[in-house]
Amino acid sequence: MDIALHRTHFDTVSWLIAEWAHAIDDDRIERIAELMREDGRYTVRSRFNADRGLPLAIIDTHNAAQLRDRIRSMRVANIYQPQHYRHVVSAVQVTGQTETGLLEVRSSFAVFRTLVSTGDTMFFSGGRCDDRVDLSGPQPRFASRLMTFDSRAVETLMIIPI
Amino acid sequence: MQTPVPPALPPRAAPSTVPPPDANARRWPEEGYRRAPYWVYTDPQIYALEQKRIFRGRAWHYVGLEVEIPDPGSYKTTFIGDTPVVLARSEDGGLHVVVNRCAHRGNLICREPFGTASRLYCVYHAWSYTLSGDLSHAAFSQGLRGEGGLPADFDKSQHGLIKLRVDTLCGLVFASFSHDIEPLADWLGEVTPGIRRVLNRRLRVLGYDTQRIHANWKTYHENPRDSYHANILHTFYGTFGLSRQSQESAMTIDGSGRHVYFFTKAGTEKKSTDYDSTASQLRSHNDQMKLEDPSILRWSDEFGDGISVQILNTYPSFVLHQIANSLATRQLIPRGVGQCDLVWTYLGFADDDEATTRTRLNQTNLAGSAGLVSVEDAAVCEMMQRAFADGEEGASFIEMGGKTLESGGSSKLSERAIRNFWNVYRQDMGL
Repeated sequence: MDIALHRTHFDTVSWLIAEWAHAIDDDRIERIAELMREDGRYTVRSRFNADRGLPLAIIDTHNAAQLRDRIRSMRVANIYQPQHYRHVVSAVQVTGQTETGLLEVRSSFAVFRTLVSTGDTMFFSGGRCDDRVDLSGPQPRFASRLMTFDSRAVETLMIIPI
Repeated sequence: MQTPVPPALPPRAAPSTVPPPDANARRWPEEGYRRAPYWVYTDPQIYALEQKRIFRGRAWHYVGLEVEIPDPGSYKTTFIGDTPVVLARSEDGGLHVVVNRCAHRGNLICREPFGTASRLYCVYHAWSYTLSGDLSHAAFSQGLRGEGGLPADFDKSQHGLIKLRVDTLCGLVFASFSHDIEPLADWLGEVTPGIRRVLNRRLRVLGYDTQRIHANWKTYHENPRDSYHANILHTFYGTFGLSRQSQESAMTIDGSGRHVYFFTKAGTEKKSTDYDSTASQLRSHNDQMKLEDPSILRWSDEFGDGISVQILNTYPSFVLHQIANSLATRQLIPRGVGQCDLVWTYLGFADDDEATTRTRLNQTNLAGSAGLVSVEDAAVCEMMQRAFADGEEGASFIEMGGKTLESGGSSKLSERAIRNFWNVYRQDMGL
């Protein structure tokens, strides 16, 4: 593992990952699509499927337009109990670089969910995040985000992206 | 030392000061199956009775797919109601379902969700069983050096795992604690063609999605029977101008009233002023709203009959869905009176090409725990459970489409299938 690569890019990728998390937690969720390359892919799957080589993901948007559609559906169409998230992200590590120059970044996440009506804050989802980050543009962006949550079960539903 | 005299007990309240128990507390409303009293969703004693009369009673319960246990020795663990069970394939290829509980001291035998084994082995005292559940060996059953051991009259054949009856249809495996229940296809009756229509060749599992719903299992069981709510609660299609209540659709209920399936054909909308006026009440209707990338909705009519959605629900704990090209089973597992797990198993066919598999996977975005089309269902179940509170008063009003088991016909704007559910439920429960 290339520690120099990690040192060189740690601040930039940390900023990007934090920007994503803060945008969701602050209910500026539309912002995350701007952090994604137009052809970027955002995937949320369970470790249960990943460990068994099963391809199913519960969320899989293949480009930023599909992510925007999902967020718009969440805003205007879907009905769910009002809620917000708190992300705790740790162990951000630049682990490598692809042939096309994308940084490979791994981190751990925990998301707490607060239901507005009851006021309860509960652990919602935790797992690992495998990102590819593109530094070629004016601002860093994700070329892909693959979130793998540890639990076999989703608590109630996942309508706000994590 | 003298024994201390215990202090005198306070005098008992005179019986007349204790309020009499409410004689109507657990009496079903006189309207019968067109009401569901809220205590039925909240009372732990009702829940315990359901486990006995329904889940361990005379019903077929979905436990998995033949392709999940493809080889001799393959097994899967799951639940029927609260009871842990193992679905296993024996050396001769036969399917077996046994209670996942050692006949000795009740320890869990199989600990993995899926696995392979040559025998079912309890780690506690090394009792081991064949894949069909017969006891083959108990450690130190003869004792050691003449001491210990099981009684001389111990009969291994009397100490096997509890065996369930097993039956299959189109690769689906069902099990029942009842040994005199009719064969599965007879039990399913008129909904059987709905299963044969979709699961017409060898399946492939694409993955699992478990939703933990903090509500009584029946709130979810009623949901896929309830075609009335579909276009009202689920506003994704309507908001993006994709679906109308006036599409050609129909409903089939089996002769017993236990099972039901609905289908809808896409692209068969009839212009309806009633729909338009209803739609404008339902949401801030915006005809200009379009998906930027509607490719996730692109589907092919793979069964050649124009049916774009089919939801099939069998009593008490199974759903098969076809939503465009997304295929899945849903297994409902109660987890106490106020919680249930909904386990979605997404499917394709073994002979699907890569593009078809990709289409099915993309459409997973529409259903399940993060599904854009139907994510609301779990939320409504939980909101209902909170609104029932302790369930001590009130009842559901279930008269859409009429007051009888037949009324409403095959209309989607009907709660006929829910009335039929409560009719069967009451018979099974003796309520």
